[in-house]
Amino acid sequence: MAEPVRVRLRLNGELREFSVPPGRRLLDLLREDAGLTGTKEGCGAGECGACTVLLNGRPVTSCLVLAASCDGCEVTTVEGLLAATGEPHPVQRALVEAGGVQCGFCTPGLAVTGAAIIARGVGKAPERSRLISGNLCRCTGYLTVLEALERAGGAADGAE
Amino acid sequence: MAPSEGAPGLPRAEALPPTGHHPRPDAWGKVLGQTRYVGDLSLPGMLHAALVTSNRASARVRALELSAARSLPEVVAVLTAADVPGANSVGVIFPDQPLLAVDRVRMVGERLALVAARSREAAAAAVGAVRVELDPLPSVHDPVAALAPGAPLVHEGGNLIRTFQVVRGDVARHFRRATVVFEAEYRIGGQEHAYLEPQGCLAVPEGRQRVTVYASCQCPFYVQQAVARVLGLSLAAVRVIQTPTGGGFGGKEDYPSEPAACAALLAWHTGLPVRLVYSRETDMQLSSKRHAMVVRHRWGADGAGKLCFAEVETFMDAGAYVGLSTVVAERANVSAIGPYHVPAVRVRTHVVYTNNLFGGAFRGFGAPQVTVAGEATMDALARRLGLDPVEFRRRNVLDDRRRTTCTGTRLERPVLARQCLERAVELAATTPPVAAGRGEKVGTGVGLVLYGCNLHHGGQRLDRSSAVVILQPDGSVVVRVGLTEMGQGLLVAVQTVAAQALGVPPEAVEVCLPDTSTVADSGPTVASRGALAAGRAVLDAVRRLRRRLDPVAAELLHCPPRQVELLGGHARVRGEPERAVPIAQVAAEMAARRIEAIATGWYRSRPRRFDAASGQGGAYDFYAVACHLAQVVVDAELGLVRVARVVAVHDVGRVLHRPALEGQIHGGIVQGMGWATSERLAVREGRLENPSFTDYVIPTASDAPVVEIEAIEGAAGRGPWGSKGIGEPSLIPTPAAVRNAVCDALGIELFELPLVPPVIVAALGQRHPFAWLREQPADEGVGVR
Repeated sequence: MAEPVRVRLRLNGELREFSVPPGRRLLDLLREDAGLTGTKEGCGAGECGACTVLLNGRPVTSCLVLAASCDGCEVTTVEGLLAATGEPHPVQRALVEAGGVQCGFCTPGLAVTGAAIIARGVGKAPERSRLISGNLCRCTGYLTVLEALERAGGAADGAE
Repeated sequence: MAPSEGAPGLPRAEALPPTGHHPRPDAWGKVLGQTRYVGDLSLPGMLHAALVTSNRASARVRALELSAARSLPEVVAVLTAADVPGANSVGVIFPDQPLLAVDRVRMVGERLALVAARSREAAAAAVGAVRVELDPLPSVHDPVAALAPGAPLVHEGGNLIRTFQVVRGDVARHFRRATVVFEAEYRIGGQEHAYLEPQGCLAVPEGRQRVTVYASCQCPFYVQQAVARVLGLSLAAVRVIQTPTGGGFGGKEDYPSEPAACAALLAWHTGLPVRLVYSRETDMQLSSKRHAMVVRHRWGADGAGKLCFAEVETFMDAGAYVGLSTVVAERANVSAIGPYHVPAVRVRTHVVYTNNLFGGAFRGFGAPQVTVAGEATMDALARRLGLDPVEFRRRNVLDDRRRTTCTGTRLERPVLARQCLERAVELAATTPPVAAGRGEKVGTGVGLVLYGCNLHHGGQRLDRSSAVVILQPDGSVVVRVGLTEMGQGLLVAVQTVAAQALGVPPEAVEVCLPDTSTVADSGPTVASRGALAAGRAVLDAVRRLRRRLDPVAAELLHCPPRQVELLGGHARVRGEPERAVPIAQVAAEMAARRIEAIATGWYRSRPRRFDAASGQGGAYDFYAVACHLAQVVVDAELGLVRVARVVAVHDVGRVLHRPALEGQIHGGIVQGMGWATSERLAVREGRLENPSFTDYVIPTASDAPVVEIEAIEGAAGRGPWGSKGIGEPSLIPTPAAVRNAVCDALGIELFELPLVPPVIVAALGQRHPFAWLREQPADEGVGVR
């Protein structure tokens, strides 16, 4: 067996240290080593987006990222989208209120990608559709998801 | 339109409660990442399961060498058919399918052995260490070829499983009246459910006497029956708890019984909790699919543009095991004519064994395939008569005057098929037509459905449902039902019904996911029956609870019990809203007096008669109609279809919860659109060659069309407050409308589905511009994202 690798992360704002096999996926580190099961595995091939997390602020499919390559990085999962006050992220509130949550398995990934889209201040609807199109959803037909992004974008603008 | 009187759950002439709009109760847990799906559950000592499966579609098992796998570190158990203590059988209707193959495999993915190990990696290594030797046998992969003399037999006894029929009127006589006759053969492909959460379960043993199974599933009672049968236990000894389920669409109707029986068998032998969660590739290769069908038509119409007769012969590819195929065939059989008046009808629906992946339940249950064919033929006849497709449908659609279906059922008035069609056309006309870019063509198509609500006559013994309502001492309410939430919105529908019936705000009602130890067998969560069957059972439970609640409230209000009404969080005197006490106070008083605050409820549909030989009689309890109108943009050079807009008009009886209804319609449209345009199962020699989301292309957010919905209320169904089901009618008309729109855009007729680019380009007589990327016949092309 190969030597375990030390991985230090700022995980949802908290400094955490893990010792993992070199081949371990970031997804498995999060779900199994850190106990953060909000991040889901839908395909294991970077196609469905259910495992999306923010790596240094950028959305990545954590099933395609080696945990060992993340040493020293900042990682935000769906559990970390809450503000320090415990308030949900505007995109989470908008998904609930717009009816953008059905079976919920894709929802954490949508929320994480959605938060990145809002943070980037994307104002045009077609561009938002394109950016969220890496997150597959089989229940909603995406219409309420896109509405939620629009609402959350407005809420984020209003907060500034 | 005025609501009908006497809607279920309401005293005659009482006003209907308002439609719900509140956020669904399961939304926050899901959006925060706190909801625990089965793959998120683990227990101390838990083992990970994996399956050893066949890689051939038809073979004799020569050798299964397990000793190398058993000797690997961290491997705890490797089991075969010899280790099954009960019946080695998992067929839901017909016992033709073994849990573990004995000496013969009939499809790719058939289970040969089960592995349990301390880690997923060790389980995978053990699967790799099992040596399987298979001697190939002849196989058959087309349902028409499977019926030819001399075709390889999938099972002894022949490949024809059963033929269903509709026989109505004299086809020969009406054939002679026809001035236009259209004949065609449609080849309709299967579809993968592509729920985002793969199949999964966790089995926890307690000695060899008892097992608890946590499962992602639509039908916990099916899982319970399968596990009990395989382990030789009583139903009471098998407790199944549904875990939050990440999508089903029919794919978690019968199939989850198979992984659950595998995990339970491993748990029974090892005495340890065993979790089995499929990878996406395993899920797509092994689980059931929408049936591929070959549909042959000969339909005729007279010079006045009226249908004279319709003959349909359908060959359904059941795959290697029956599964639910015969039940799917029942719906396909009686749905083949659609909402049209046809004097003479002959339908034959053959269910056929092949060595392909097995067909199963998928939203629409056989109706979408025959609806694509039926609506295509309607367009073809209209064109040959020189009529507009909408005008041709106007002349033939069922209405209040001509309301007898092909199964001889006189529909209850009002029949809204014509209204749905006219409203869809009107709504489409209110916005400017879709603009075409350079090299693009636009087209419009319609599709209609006559949807039999609830289970077909053949399944009516399952059409029952159980509920428990518990009034807490603070006035909040716990509701337990036997039907499942899989994303469709059952929890919010039941919550809405219970809250309205008890006059409390929806937030006061908690609805639990099913647990077979707390409610009676409620049948499956299928056939758009969830809100109807669970809601009716809840209303029954509330009625019984009120026999004890109303007298207590009446004492507090100083009025007779029959004067008590529950509204706005209060028990009130009917007609005197100022005389009121909070329901919380009534609940506290019941608790103080130790009055039973729990009630059970039950629902079953009305019995009906149906003659299977002629397909005549009460196929369904009641019906809903819908019309979808699709506008598409087709790039004629690349063969790419973009669905720009879908107008959906539905006869819903009553809207229980608006966002849940619209969510179902949105999702049904986009899932139907995906099947019509890009979702192609590349099956070769029974093996799925595209078991991934890279190669099997489902719609993304960029593909979402503009959707306009109109829900017409007033034609009462038998759900709570007169509601009807929406889960399946939301999908069925879309593929037909999209197919017709593509043909309209291009001015050609297409006879297969899905309409992936190579199909369209070949039909236009062109060579696909990207054909050099992958030199192969046009029908082997890949989808394009």
